[in-house]
Amino acid sequence: MAKADEGLISRAVDYALSLGASYAEARYQRDVTDEVVLRNGRVVGAGSNVREGVGVRLLVKGSLGFAATNNLTWEGLKEAVDKAFARARSAARLRKEPIVFSEERLGRVTYEVVVKEPLENLDAESMIRYGREVSEAIMSSATKVKVPAVMIEASTNVEEKLIINSDGAVVRSLIPRVAVFANFVLVDPQKGTLQRMIEKGGSGGAELPKEWRLADEVRDEVRRLENVLLNAVEPPKEAVDVVVGSEVVGLLVHESAGHPMEADRILGREAAQAGESFVKPDMIGKFRIGTELATVIEDPTIPGSAGYYLFDDEGVPARPRYLYKEGIINEPLHNRHTAKIFGTKSNAAARAMDYASEPIVRMSNTYLKPGDMSFEELIEDVRLGVFIRSYMEWNIDDARWNQRYVGLEAYMIRNGELAEPVRNPVLEITTKGFYSSIVGVDRNLRFYLGLCGKGEPAQGVPVWFGGPDVRLSKIKLGVIA
Amino acid sequence: MVDALAVAKEILGKLKPRFTDVAVRVELIDSVMVKLWNSEPSITQSWIETRVGLYLTKDGKVFVTEVSLPNVGSVEDLARRVEKVVSALEPSEFYAPLPEPQTYTPLEGIYDPNVVKAMDDPGRYVELMVDAALAEGVDRVAGTLVLGREFIGLATSTGFEGSEEGTEVEAYLRSFKGEFSGHWAYGSRRLDEQAIKEVGRRSGYYATLASSKASFTPGKYDVVLSPLVVGNLANTVMFMASAMAAAVGMSMFMKFKPGDRIGSEHVTIADAPRDPLLAGSRSFDDEGVPTYDKAVIEKGVFKTLLHSTGTAAKMGAKSTGNAGWLMPHAWNIHVSPGEFASEEELISELGDGIVITNNWYTRMQNYVEGIFSTVSRDAAFLVRNGEIVGYLTRIRLADKLPNLLRGWVAATRDTYLIKWWEVETPTKAPYVLVRNVNLTKPTI
Repeated sequence: MAKADEGLISRAVDYALSLGASYAEARYQRDVTDEVVLRNGRVVGAGSNVREGVGVRLLVKGSLGFAATNNLTWEGLKEAVDKAFARARSAARLRKEPIVFSEERLGRVTYEVVVKEPLENLDAESMIRYGREVSEAIMSSATKVKVPAVMIEASTNVEEKLIINSDGAVVRSLIPRVAVFANFVLVDPQKGTLQRMIEKGGSGGAELPKEWRLADEVRDEVRRLENVLLNAVEPPKEAVDVVVGSEVVGLLVHESAGHPMEADRILGREAAQAGESFVKPDMIGKFRIGTELATVIEDPTIPGSAGYYLFDDEGVPARPRYLYKEGIINEPLHNRHTAKIFGTKSNAAARAMDYASEPIVRMSNTYLKPGDMSFEELIEDVRLGVFIRSYMEWNIDDARWNQRYVGLEAYMIRNGELAEPVRNPVLEITTKGFYSSIVGVDRNLRFYLGLCGKGEPAQGVPVWFGGPDVRLSKIKLGVIA
Repeated sequence: MVDALAVAKEILGKLKPRFTDVAVRVELIDSVMVKLWNSEPSITQSWIETRVGLYLTKDGKVFVTEVSLPNVGSVEDLARRVEKVVSALEPSEFYAPLPEPQTYTPLEGIYDPNVVKAMDDPGRYVELMVDAALAEGVDRVAGTLVLGREFIGLATSTGFEGSEEGTEVEAYLRSFKGEFSGHWAYGSRRLDEQAIKEVGRRSGYYATLASSKASFTPGKYDVVLSPLVVGNLANTVMFMASAMAAAVGMSMFMKFKPGDRIGSEHVTIADAPRDPLLAGSRSFDDEGVPTYDKAVIEKGVFKTLLHSTGTAAKMGAKSTGNAGWLMPHAWNIHVSPGEFASEEELISELGDGIVITNNWYTRMQNYVEGIFSTVSRDAAFLVRNGEIVGYLTRIRLADKLPNLLRGWVAATRDTYLIKWWEVETPTKAPYVLVRNVNLTKPTI
């Protein structure tokens, strides 16, 4: 478990209170990441990153201060508390209303992810072997086009935390994670190039890469993408039924349900960089955003997930949150600060990237609720449509309303069956436009790895996003100019 | 602060006997950020950190690490762990011996004592910025002010020793007036009160410039891009200019060779490590190679990728002083100015078109082809006969980077120092006029 000195961390909290802080927390966090990088099956290099330190956060005169140090002596921690306190007190004169946290029952607990196989078994040698196998699978599967570049990054990460705060939380946790990233380019002299990036990841041990069977997956995918590059046609010009694959759905719900339902965005705290939200406080529990099939769930407690945790970085116990429920805007993600403003309880969304980052409202694992039909049933009565299985380009505006996803692997649907490939179909749609167009969801819930960015300075935290395959009614697709 | 170079040399002494090449970079960080929300501070954050970066090779095998070392004594434990990992590697095709040490010319003027003085009470500068925005008549603002100093020491096994201490100011503000907003950003080594006020003034100016909404139909438009947008796109181009990005399939420069024309004669985008005003300035790179300013695209012609010794050896080039041990990178970016005296003159030259003052979420469908889109945020304006006629909300620029570089026809004489979330590498850029750009928006 954590190498943190609990006595030292507690002392930092007590010291902050002795200075006059009304609330104090000290979070020890150690993140060790090991990775290997391969290009075209050959090792470019290996690397490791060790981030270990303490982040102190406190409230003084209603002003919030944070300081981080990786000097883990008492002198180092004391300096951090002193700076956080003095600078927060200095800024207090600029505040009109004091910052107050909601009352919560906080955890006094130790937990860790139970692995099937120790992460240590996934050493540099086995990660290289894995990376070579995936590279070889990509390079050997393209028979009609060339593969000028394949890059693989394989990494392990162990996150250890000890969170102590003046409201009684003492939470120790240990979360190991594994991730693999693949990038490859296919080239045909006449048709040009096609690029694909794939990410796999989750919490667990050395068993994960074996369970992913990535080499088998990319072998099939490269053959399909070869067909897309060589034979794809433009999407129909008229509005047709569009079946959005779970990979795209996962990203879409992360961007258009998860982010706009972060309470700090709704309040404008992230306005300068990460942006605000089309959701306003009076829309919660009332505003219809989509059909009854539009239920989006956020759940940090999914075993094996990339965004897994049982207590957040304020010590609040985690639980599933229903962001959109049967088409209605339902429950935002809260930390103790936003919960107080909304007059509710925190639902444990406070996460920090590392010791040097303040805990802010973050997603964990976000997904659209699946249904009970098969994929075949989902498309069986589509006379003319398009199935978008994967994407590359995407973006969304800072209010989380106007978004675009450009398909990479996509097919025409003709009389209920997948037909010829479609080149780069563009789904450019509003949030309400998407959720209001859902007419079917299948049962194939799949999750995908993401690194979600937010905060000042920017913090990237691992998340899963997912969903089933989703059928939209009468959508006009665009093309790349 | 302790001496970063002394720490680097001590670590080097422990590692040198065990590896073929060793480079040790020690960074001592002391910084503060005030974050604003609804015109008042939401949090004041401070960082006091020592970051140790190590480049270690053995028999052509390459290992890079960044660690929080509790003390220099623990380096030997680290070395034992690294040796075990290195034994599992294979020689890297990007390995080249570290270069022999060369003399570098230290940069002048990258340390401003006023920045350090202001760190314990940044509130005064926050007020300057906020008040300047409120004076434009806006309802509320959000943003940040960062003040910091950094002391870097680098020691290598070939005998290079270098150190540099610099300061940094980063300020950006977003102003809101009803449903309209404006944004401006600034990044520099120096504390310049006028520049910080200007961040507030410009963000307020854009939030209040138009009082009515306009609409547009998706299609091809001539556009004026602000230095924030130009900075974001120039960052994308310079990421792709890294030789490693080109090697791993994440660059449009895979398709070009030096000497190829890829843009109009008005386009010059350069790496500018020797600009002491921009916070990325460095006089030596992470291998100890002296840095120098160089164009990646000069008058529309592709000149060079950015190299470390390793990527240069692999690609038959010379180091450009841009290591980055595995990933060479730009230090600062300069986008060359043009002939137009002001933003207003450039808008007049635009005639009919659209002004985009800020963007985010630039994402690629295909790096090799440069196919991308990016979304406007804050003010975008519809222009008719050289006059702003209305405020446009959130339009998407969806095109190919080579098209943008070819359609780049004019720029302002004035350039602006920009750094924020979407302009990560500090950039000096003008307003730019680009012809025939594809703009889109959702249909439902």
